[in-house]
Amino acid sequence: MALLTGKPSTRRQGFELAMMSPALFLLALITLVPFFSIIWMSFNDVSLMGGLAFEFSGLDNWQRVFTDPDIRSSWLISLVYFLATVGLEMVIGTMMALLVYSLTRGSNIIISLLLIPMFIAPVIVGLLGRFMLDPSHGLYAWMLNETGLFDGNILGSVGSAMVAVILMDVWEWTPLVALIVLAGLTSVPEDVLEAAEMDGAKYAQKLIYIILPSISNILLVALLIRAMDAIRFFAIIFITTNGGPADSTKIIPIRLYDIAFRFFDLGYAAAVGITMLVFSIMVATAFTKLLKRQEKVS
Amino acid sequence: MTTSKRWIPLTFKVTLLTLLLVWTLIPIIWMVLSSFKPNSVITANTPRVFFTPTLEHYASLFSSGNSLWPYLLNSLFIAGVSTLIAVVLGCMAGFGLSRIRIRGKQHLAFWIISTRMAPIAAVIVPLYLLFRYLYLLDTHAGLIVAYLSFNLPFAIWLMTAFFDDLPPDLEEAAMIDGATKFQAFRYVVLPLMTPGLVTTAILCFIFAWNDYAFAQTFSGPSTQTIPIAAAQLLTQTGIDWGKLLAIGTIVVCPMAIAGLLVKRWLVQGLTLGAVK
Repeated sequence: MALLTGKPSTRRQGFELAMMSPALFLLALITLVPFFSIIWMSFNDVSLMGGLAFEFSGLDNWQRVFTDPDIRSSWLISLVYFLATVGLEMVIGTMMALLVYSLTRGSNIIISLLLIPMFIAPVIVGLLGRFMLDPSHGLYAWMLNETGLFDGNILGSVGSAMVAVILMDVWEWTPLVALIVLAGLTSVPEDVLEAAEMDGAKYAQKLIYIILPSISNILLVALLIRAMDAIRFFAIIFITTNGGPADSTKIIPIRLYDIAFRFFDLGYAAAVGITMLVFSIMVATAFTKLLKRQEKVS
Repeated sequence: MTTSKRWIPLTFKVTLLTLLLVWTLIPIIWMVLSSFKPNSVITANTPRVFFTPTLEHYASLFSSGNSLWPYLLNSLFIAGVSTLIAVVLGCMAGFGLSRIRIRGKQHLAFWIISTRMAPIAAVIVPLYLLFRYLYLLDTHAGLIVAYLSFNLPFAIWLMTAFFDDLPPDLEEAAMIDGATKFQAFRYVVLPLMTPGLVTTAILCFIFAWNDYAFAQTFSGPSTQTIPIAAAQLLTQTGIDWGKLLAIGTIVVCPMAIAGLLVKRWLVQGLTLGAVK
């Protein structure tokens, strides 16, 4: 016992250190080297033609990041995409969880069915989107056409393409929010709910005054997890519209990919990438702070 | 208990749940169903539910000149090896990180989690350059390293959360009985970690199996994975939907089953241990 208590000492914790070192060494190698590379790249003009060549260019790339109107519009589209997807996922996911939680029977099978989309590779979600919305033989396109709601090329028109890629993301990730919220709902105090019910509280009142406050931390976890993934993945848009039509769905990761691998402007792409990294580090900071707060509560 | 569960009027509840189930399942059911339809039915102007099922699309995937086998083997090998490395190293590091007491531990933890959260598009850029420099483009090793960049921090973080749940009393008791730290870990702690290890492994495998962006950038003719096969068919003019839907079914079904197998630990896994 004395081994583990008492003053922190590295001498007696040789085993723990030995267990950690292989993973940490490998992680450092595969993350720190790229990290310092991307920073160095952002100050250079990187050329791939005729062998790799760096040419120091000072703050040129950084100046472009903050003045390029294309980048600005991509951040704006990202913001819309982010607010729409994460917002809808939070609302529908919470609703889904409340509904499943209120079931007295069959909740296990129903939640299992509802969870399936989140195991599907984003590239297949995109494939499904294109298949369902195909103008000549897609099921959803046909339904929209028959009901007279929309008869154009959904993924080929500005506006409807954005709605479509947002809904594809919502389709895939709402179940994750539902799963997280469902776990949180088990911590809602049953006795308080019963007491409220005896006092004649309506469902909406219980929801606002008891249920939502007691799952607020869980909702925050769901929000942060989705926030981080919303900027991580871009395969759905990549495979369906690739940013089009007329750049209307060109969120920042797609723009970055274009800059790097269509125009091979890798130094500039590095600078754009760092601005994205800053965003994800902010999310990570919020996430670890939240974890610490939870530890204090429990 | 039962009274408070009946919060919502039954008809309202059933209607909403049915709508959510329909919205969720229709594309999946339609994909699987259509993968057994002959091409003439798939491309018909009106959708059809009744048809004579055929296995022609699956047969053509595994027999024709451009067979799916190499893609499938690449996917299995790359996802499998990166998962194995992530889980073994992650398990060891998770135990160490959970039990160690050092100053700056939370900074270490923060560094690990931030590498997991790094946007893939931003990671691809420097990795592409490094891989080109190290001749790792179009190699299995390159993609394994790329997948480790998100699976290793994920495995370390998640295993730490699982080990944190296990009180150290057990190992301490074993050590009082004369076991070394390694023996306590190997024979007392590890057997209790099966759910954690299986959950971590399945999630790592799904993440790697489902990846598109890394594979699209780093793979070449000899290392392409299944998502690339799907993407290649999608970008052709005159899309062969039958074949594509068969690939989709092959990519999706095993992962959905694997994911649901660890449903009990899924919340903990996908929230990186923040929710239990």
